[in-house]
Amino acid sequence: MIDNGLLVQMLIGALLGLSVYLPLAAGQLSLATPAFYAVGGTLAALLSTRWSALGATAAGTLPLGSLVLELLLGGLLAGLLALLVGRLVLRLQGIYLAIATIALVEILRVAILNLPFTGGAVGIFGIPQPFATAAGYVLPALALLALAGWWCQRLEGMPLGRAMAAIRDDELAARCMGIDTTNVKLSAFVLSAVLAGSTGALAAHFLNTWNARQGSFDVSITTLAFVVLGGSRSWLGPVVGGLLLTALPELLRPVGDVRLVLFGLVILLGPVLAPQGLITPALLARLGRWGEEKER
Amino acid sequence: MIDVLLQTLLNAAASGGVYALVALGYTLVFSVLGVINFAQGALFSIGGYLTYLLMGGRIGVNGALPGWGLPAGLPFWLALLLAAAGSGLVGLLVERVAFAPLRRRGAEPLLALITSLGAGVVLVNLLQLLMGAEGYAFPEAALAGLPNALVIGGARIRSVQVLLLAVCAFAVLVLTLWLERSKGGRALRAVAEDATTAQLLGINSEAMVRLAFVVSGALAGLGGGLVGVSVSLAGPYMGISYGLKGLAVLVLGGLGSVSGAIAGGLLMGLAEALVPSDASGWRDAVAFAILFAVLLLRPSGLLGRRPVDRV
Repeated sequence: MIDNGLLVQMLIGALLGLSVYLPLAAGQLSLATPAFYAVGGTLAALLSTRWSALGATAAGTLPLGSLVLELLLGGLLAGLLALLVGRLVLRLQGIYLAIATIALVEILRVAILNLPFTGGAVGIFGIPQPFATAAGYVLPALALLALAGWWCQRLEGMPLGRAMAAIRDDELAARCMGIDTTNVKLSAFVLSAVLAGSTGALAAHFLNTWNARQGSFDVSITTLAFVVLGGSRSWLGPVVGGLLLTALPELLRPVGDVRLVLFGLVILLGPVLAPQGLITPALLARLGRWGEEKER
Repeated sequence: MIDVLLQTLLNAAASGGVYALVALGYTLVFSVLGVINFAQGALFSIGGYLTYLLMGGRIGVNGALPGWGLPAGLPFWLALLLAAAGSGLVGLLVERVAFAPLRRRGAEPLLALITSLGAGVVLVNLLQLLMGAEGYAFPEAALAGLPNALVIGGARIRSVQVLLLAVCAFAVLVLTLWLERSKGGRALRAVAEDATTAQLLGINSEAMVRLAFVVSGALAGLGGGLVGVSVSLAGPYMGISYGLKGLAVLVLGGLGSVSGAIAGGLLMGLAEALVPSDASGWRDAVAFAILFAVLLLRPSGLLGRRPVDRV
C-alpha cells in the first residue's frame, strides 16, 4: 500500500506540517510555508542544473554532499527572506497576518512563474538525482524530520520555546513579563522558513521537476490542514497530521475522483469534531503515564 | 487611441466591479462575525456554472452526466438571478456546516478560516465531479439582442463589458440602499456594530448572521455568472483566484467597510488594467503587491473604520 515514493511524500508532508506549527506555537497563524518551500526548491533546482561545481553528471546523478549543501543553502536563503519579511508582517495579528502571508505566497508564485530563468509554466526539469530510486530519499527525509523533531522537543525546554508558549497564551501578559515578543515571534518565523526551505530543496530532487505550482495557495491549505488534524499543542501533532493527510489521498485512490472531496471534508469537519486535533495534551499525558508504568 | 483608452478604462471598471462584488460578500460576513469566509471563491464558481446550466448549457464529456442539460434554457438575466439565489443558499449551507458549530462552542474564530477553506475545497471538487475540469463557453445566443460592440463618440467598446459594469453597479446600489434604508439592513448593521446589544434590542442576531451569508453567497454567485458570460468558465477552480483577489480588495478597502470594498475593487481593476500587455504574466501579482503594501503602510485600509491591533 505505502511504497517508498509515498513514504517520502509523507515525510515531506510531516516536515511542512512542522513548519506551519512553529509560528503557531508562538500564537502566529502564518500561511507562508509554501513560499519558503518554493524558495528552497527553486534554489536547489537552479543550482543543481546550472552550477557545474556541484558535480551533476550527464547521466543525471549528483554527489550526496551537494545535496546536503543545497539543503543548507535552501534553508539559509529561505531564512534570510523570512528575516526580511518577518520584521514587516509580524507586526500584524490574527487574520491580517494570515492574509499578508497568503499575499507573500502568491507574489512568489507569480514571480517564479514569470522570471526569465525559472522555466515558466513548465518549470525546471531533469533535476539531477543523488539516489537511483525513491527508496534512497527515505533516509535523508527521515533524518531531516528526526532533526527537526528533536529540535522542537528541545525547544519546549528552552527559554525561546517557553517564551513562544507564553506569547501564544497571552501576548500582552508575555510582554509585561519582559519577553521581547517581536524577536521571539521573528525567531519562530525564521525557524519555520529554514525548515520549509530545506524541505523544498530535498523535494525538488525527489520530484525531479520543479515549477511555480509547488508553492501555491493550495499548499497553504493542505499544510494548514496537517496541523489542524494532528493538533497544534505538541510538535507530534503536525507530524502525525502530515503523515496521515499526505497518505490519505493516495490510499483513497481506488475511490477515484471523490478523494479530494473527502480531503476537504476532513478539513471542514476536523475542527468541529476534534477541536484539539488527534494528538491532544490529554493523550500525550496518558502516553507518558503508560511509558512510566512500562519502565517500572 | 481614444477607443483603446476607453476600452481599457471600461475593462478596468468591469473587472473592478466584479472584485467589488466578491469583496462586499466578504465584508458582510466579516462585519457580523469578524471572520472571513474562505469558501467565497467556491460560491463564485458555483454561480458561474449555475448560470450556464440554467441557460440550457450541457455538461461536457468529462462530467458526471455527459451531455445532460435542462430541456429549455432561461434568458440570461433570469438565469443569473436564479444562480445568485442558488449560490446564496449554498452560502447558507456553508454557514450551517462550517461556522455555526464553532460559534455554538465559542471556539477560536481563526478555526472558522480552516473549516470554511474545507467547505470551499469540498464545493469546488464536487463541482469538478459534476462538470469536469474543462472550461465552458456560454452559448452564442446567450446575449441575443445585444449588439457585439457599442460605438460611443467614435470609439468601439465591447457591449458585454458595459452590461457587466451596469449589473455590478446596480447590485451595489441595491445592496447599499438595502443596508441603509430597510429594516433588515439596519438590523444587520446593528448586529455588526454590537451583536449583544442588538440581541437585547430584540434583533435576532443568529437570523442576521444567516442573512449575511445568503446575501454574501448571492453576490459571489452574481460575480461568477457575469464573468462566465463575459469571458468563459475557466474550470471549477476559477473562483479561487477571484476569491483571493477579493481578499486583496477587502484589505485595500478596509475590513468591514462597504464603501471601501467598492472603491478598493475599482482601484484594483484599474491597477491591473494599467499593467502593460508585454508584462501581463505579472498582472496576477499586482493585487497581492498592493495588498502587501496596504497591510504594512495602512492596515486599516483606505476607508476602514476598525483600527488594527498593533504590537
